[in-house]
Amino acid sequence: MTGPKRALLWCAGLALAAATVTYPLYANGYYLALGISVLYFTILATAWAMFSGPTRYISLATVAFFGLGAYTAAVLGETMPWPVVLLAAAGVGAFTAAITGLSTLRLSGIYFVIFSFGLAELIRQLVIWYEVNIHKSVGRYLFSAVTQDILYWQLLGLTAIVFLVGWLLGRSRYGLALRAIGADETAASHSGIDATRVKLGVFILSATFMAVTGAVMAPRWTYIDPAIAFNPTISFQVVIMALLGGAGSLFGPVLGVIPLVLLFEVLSATLPNHFSIVLGLIFVLIVMVLPNGVIGLFGTGRWRVPAGGPVAARAGTSDAPLLAVEGVSKSFSGLRAVDDVSFKVAPGEIVGIIGPNGSGKTTLLNTLSGALKPSSGTIRFGGTVLNGLRAHQIARLGLARTFQLVRVMPDLTVAENVAAAQLFSTSNGSSATASELLDLVGLGTVHAAPAGDLTYIDQKRLELARALALQPRLVLLDEWLAGLNPSELETGIALIAKLRDRGLTIIMVEHVMDAIRALCGHCIVMNAGCVIARGGPDEVLSDPKVVAAYLGDDDA
Amino acid sequence: MLLVDIVLPGLVLGGMYALIALGLTLQYGVARIMNLSYGESLVAAAFGAFSLYSGLGLSPLAALLLAVPVAMVVNWLLYRFLLERLMRRSKDRGAQEIDSILVTFGVLFVIQGAMLVAFGGQYYSYSYLSIPLTIMGSTLAVNRLVALLFAALVGGAVYLALTRTRIGTAVRAIAVDANAARLVGIDVAALSGLAFAFGGGLVAVGGVLVSMFLTFNAAMGVIFTMKALVVVIMGGVGNVMGALVAGLLLGAVETAVARLVDPGLTLAATYALFLGVLLIRPTGLFGRAAS
Repeated sequence: MTGPKRALLWCAGLALAAATVTYPLYANGYYLALGISVLYFTILATAWAMFSGPTRYISLATVAFFGLGAYTAAVLGETMPWPVVLLAAAGVGAFTAAITGLSTLRLSGIYFVIFSFGLAELIRQLVIWYEVNIHKSVGRYLFSAVTQDILYWQLLGLTAIVFLVGWLLGRSRYGLALRAIGADETAASHSGIDATRVKLGVFILSATFMAVTGAVMAPRWTYIDPAIAFNPTISFQVVIMALLGGAGSLFGPVLGVIPLVLLFEVLSATLPNHFSIVLGLIFVLIVMVLPNGVIGLFGTGRWRVPAGGPVAARAGTSDAPLLAVEGVSKSFSGLRAVDDVSFKVAPGEIVGIIGPNGSGKTTLLNTLSGALKPSSGTIRFGGTVLNGLRAHQIARLGLARTFQLVRVMPDLTVAENVAAAQLFSTSNGSSATASELLDLVGLGTVHAAPAGDLTYIDQKRLELARALALQPRLVLLDEWLAGLNPSELETGIALIAKLRDRGLTIIMVEHVMDAIRALCGHCIVMNAGCVIARGGPDEVLSDPKVVAAYLGDDDA
Repeated sequence: MLLVDIVLPGLVLGGMYALIALGLTLQYGVARIMNLSYGESLVAAAFGAFSLYSGLGLSPLAALLLAVPVAMVVNWLLYRFLLERLMRRSKDRGAQEIDSILVTFGVLFVIQGAMLVAFGGQYYSYSYLSIPLTIMGSTLAVNRLVALLFAALVGGAVYLALTRTRIGTAVRAIAVDANAARLVGIDVAALSGLAFAFGGGLVAVGGVLVSMFLTFNAAMGVIFTMKALVVVIMGGVGNVMGALVAGLLLGAVETAVARLVDPGLTLAATYALFLGVLLIRPTGLFGRAAS
């Protein structure tokens, strides 16, 4: 977003803030109630977009947390001081989100949507059952001294907090990490991002806001029953509002909240019987016509990216092997894709892994990078045993990789792709910035382009830059040279040689034998999961067993 | 006898669920549309059968002959003019799914709203073939048995059509990999539309059969959508046998919970079962391992 537009948005926001703070002083009962609706939907939609916008996990569980908050207030409201009630509601929301999040956030796409919807229904059913059988009455009365004015100001305070937190989150490294996860979770975790923890943290944060909103709103109803507190329409309205406004940016949802709250108000006054038909039509229309929301009409409204930190390849200094693989096997039910493979890689060396298609090369790399857990054997990397570590932990130790089928984060810009890998990097070697890395791989001129728009070859280059941004000691290249034309191949080989000269250790899986001959000091040949030969490139390529593995036996 | 009391109604209910889920698995597995308005279509078909029976005295089984073609045409139009655009707009599978969820969500409200306007919020039922029949000491109404029989017939026919015919094979190919199917000369767009329409036809069958023995109202479509989803996801998306087994399982669990624990907890049991399966085996009880 450009400077003037941002300034304009800020001015509009400030003017709005001034008018809203004094609103109860001049608005009558009806307009005050309308203002309350706008505020509570603003909080819910902004909190929803905080998590669902960047990750694209569409949650229909808003009302589960909102209702829990309202119920907490109904149960405790008359016996405890109000701030304690709000804290309790926050605690209940956060606790429920933590439990459900821990178990569900590895579900993606459709499964998460359905799950979140089921969750809201499950909680509602359990609350109804509890009220009927234990409390012996479905509804609860809540009499409190909270007037509409105070309720309004409470919501306003909460709105300010949700925007502040959202703004801080967007500026922090977690904001970019969340978007990286949304774009490609596998690539993100191989860039050192702990996807589970980041998602869980933001999910809990978002749910906490929803629960507190529910508690603040509870006194408005006086009488609360599950049908009011857990009304699923609220979840749906929040989703449409956030989508209409634009879930990808902080101030997007509020742009959807205001027109829709007003519209719903008009509709329920004039067409109460046709309310849900119109609601449905609006929903369809928004999805069909405005996929990026209202704010998408004003440009992409991206969240700010933290400046890239220092990045470098570090030279190995000792003679001990950097990587030691001992007896590693990986089975998929009956099939042994990798069978008892052992090898060592010394610092500064380039090791080639070759073999016919299907011989287990990529599976072997996957066990090294943490994408797969080895069935048996040990992997030691610079003294640390990698078995059982997850992909992001291995990446942070300085073991980076590229993928055979390239995985860039398509919605993020080229520079953001590299920055994402620097977010949680713990090494502190000599420095190379993100733009130096992009220059190094030949992408110096396309920083701001979305990575998804790059050609296949450029995406491969970007993957390498992203791997280097982790400041790795070891890089795994999975057929990084495949598909390059002769002159690109020459540049690519020179680039890998340059990285080696800087002290980087490399394992490359490759079918391009010219590159293997030019770069590798040592080669491992795999066939049917086993190592069938090892040694210098010329030596192994003339080995009869290797020839037979590639071309078949004489009599075959 | 308690066991028979649970197994027999469980079988009827489970057979219904399996049939309903079969349609959803066609719509989602083949046409890649997660149709959240699915349960509303079912309730609409139930209202259709009710109106025909109480207005014209037409038997629900005869109503099938009208309801199924109408549902197929409506679903085909929905696919052709609304959903197919979304499929073309985005090449990304995840974005397509989310868009389709959101749009069918809107459709859900439209159908539900229309039914509320026409029938209001109260519960409806009608009495057709409600003759008690005693089987092994357990009493069951004839209409339930007829419904089960029809569900088995329709389900079996769909299974055979999918596995034994050229078009069925092409439809299954699309479910596995739409791009590869295109490369071997399968008209993916046309067949996806057809599969979506067929799914709509199946849900109409389900709605008419269910209306023979359950009370229903305009707002309960969501429950059927959830149950169909539970069955589809438990059975593994696109897996016909899986849907059958999971449907029967769900029917049995619900009947058992209602009978042995507390009728008020049947829905909670459904969701708990569903959430449990999602967590332990997100690809379904019989689904392929996650890639």
